[in-house]
Amino acid sequence: MLSNIAFYGAIETGLIYGLVAFGIYISFRVLDFPDLTVDGSFPLGAAVAAVLIIDGVNPWLATGAAVIAGMGAGAVTALLNVKLNILNLLASILTMIALYSVNLRIMGRPNIALLTEETVLTPWYNLDLEFHQVPVLLFTLVVLAGLVLLWRFMKSETGLAMRATGANPRMARAQGIATGAMIVLGVALSNGLVGLAGALFAQSQGAADVTMGVGVIVIGLASLIGGEAVLTPSSVVRALTACVIGAIIYRLAIALALNADFLGLQAQDLNLITAVLVTLAIVLPGVRSSVVARLTRNKA
Amino acid sequence: MITATDLTLTFGKGTPLENPALRGMSLTVNQGEFVTVIGSNGAGKSTFLNALAGEVMVDSGKIIVDNQDVTKLPTYKRAGSVARVFQDPLAGTCEGLTIEENLSLAIKRGQRRGLSAAVKGRYLEQFRTSLASLNLGLENRLGDKMGLLSGGQRQAVSLLMASLTPSAILLLDEHTAALDPKTASFVLALTTQIIEQQKLTALMVTHSMKQALEVGDRTVMLHQGQVVFDIAGKDREGLEVKDLLELFEKQRGLEITDDSLLLG
Repeated sequence: MLSNIAFYGAIETGLIYGLVAFGIYISFRVLDFPDLTVDGSFPLGAAVAAVLIIDGVNPWLATGAAVIAGMGAGAVTALLNVKLNILNLLASILTMIALYSVNLRIMGRPNIALLTEETVLTPWYNLDLEFHQVPVLLFTLVVLAGLVLLWRFMKSETGLAMRATGANPRMARAQGIATGAMIVLGVALSNGLVGLAGALFAQSQGAADVTMGVGVIVIGLASLIGGEAVLTPSSVVRALTACVIGAIIYRLAIALALNADFLGLQAQDLNLITAVLVTLAIVLPGVRSSVVARLTRNKA
Repeated sequence: MITATDLTLTFGKGTPLENPALRGMSLTVNQGEFVTVIGSNGAGKSTFLNALAGEVMVDSGKIIVDNQDVTKLPTYKRAGSVARVFQDPLAGTCEGLTIEENLSLAIKRGQRRGLSAAVKGRYLEQFRTSLASLNLGLENRLGDKMGLLSGGQRQAVSLLMASLTPSAILLLDEHTAALDPKTASFVLALTTQIIEQQKLTALMVTHSMKQALEVGDRTVMLHQGQVVFDIAGKDREGLEVKDLLELFEKQRGLEITDDSLLLG
């Protein structure tokens, strides 16, 4: 049903959106902070990495700079909320809008091609692998590293303080946790991950484009919610795994929908399919439990 | 020791809903004292506790905790010396975290938090011993989510969490009010036991005059944001609810109309 290239391509973008989903897990789930900055920090990461790479900077350093830029964007959103008392959702929209201009300034033009440049992927093509398997291998390693580090962090004293901040801020303050600082740290971390995803996406797709961030938040949320529907997130490690699985399932579902000729769907239907998938992911777990409840009641 | 001097606080200043909650509140609680605080609705009990904890900032006055002026400090900076148990049994703990994670949060109250593992092996024995003293069987459920526990169990754990590390004062804000009578008396007995054993300095707000006289060694009554009377030692011994009422009427020339105070 799917060609080899389409299959690996879906896994590849799925892994990148897995990083976005990690970020959204931190903001939406851990901190209970609905953060739309990601639509701006994703292209920000791409822009920073692309500009540095065409300037001849080592692609890993360029990617690191993209992470730091993303963290900065997240910190701005969080500070608007914590210090200036702007509603979290609104604060993130302000940063997102501002980033559109910032990204254009960074790039100096709407898009930058990276096809001929050396990227983080370049050395890996020397491996004895099929061309389209290389990004999958590298991104799998990056996502696994991210998962382990985030898992360790969430189990640390600071990570636990961050989880308490999102779950019960009053209790957190009473335990001596500086909840404002935790929100800044968490939203920065979240957008740093999204910046990383943007940088890797630009390098694997061969271009950075100022519009590439549109809808990243929805795709990330779709991945998060879809993953949670498949794998009940009863612990941190399960929740993080769910992010990656959700993102890959989401990309595969999109690829299948677009490849299934009998459905007659085309690329421009992508956002409609996304909306339908997210709705299903939100509704289906409820339907499943009510069906189970009905069945067990009949038995009793 | 904790000293509050001449605290004033008005909510909604300059609006039609202007509400003076504290009007020159002064109170000194000495080391090792267990003070019960009573007063009708709107007397300023909860506001006073929130002001001590840093959840609300007073308009004027001074709060000294262990020789440190904390008047302007936010809650999290006072947490090292001020421990709290809330009225709502769900407010003192995080339901999404496990029992051991909640206790690990509390054991670092007011201290720096780093990147080492939050739940440390060396804590677990202490957690088990403390939980075992509750006689609720929780010592075998360290890995269970807090949300699985009943309100009373959660309040008992909150109390434990507040006493895991030393504090200058323990603030109890009607912490038995939201529990059923049996659980309430269990949590109250636990409270007095912990306070006595660890020789804690505590301030307990209660809605019940009876409870206020039964536990602790000093009773303070608030009315309209001020202390109206403050009795301890011999004066307090053998005192009953009706004596308190007489005392109140004598002091104020007022009659208590809040039924819940009498019935509690």
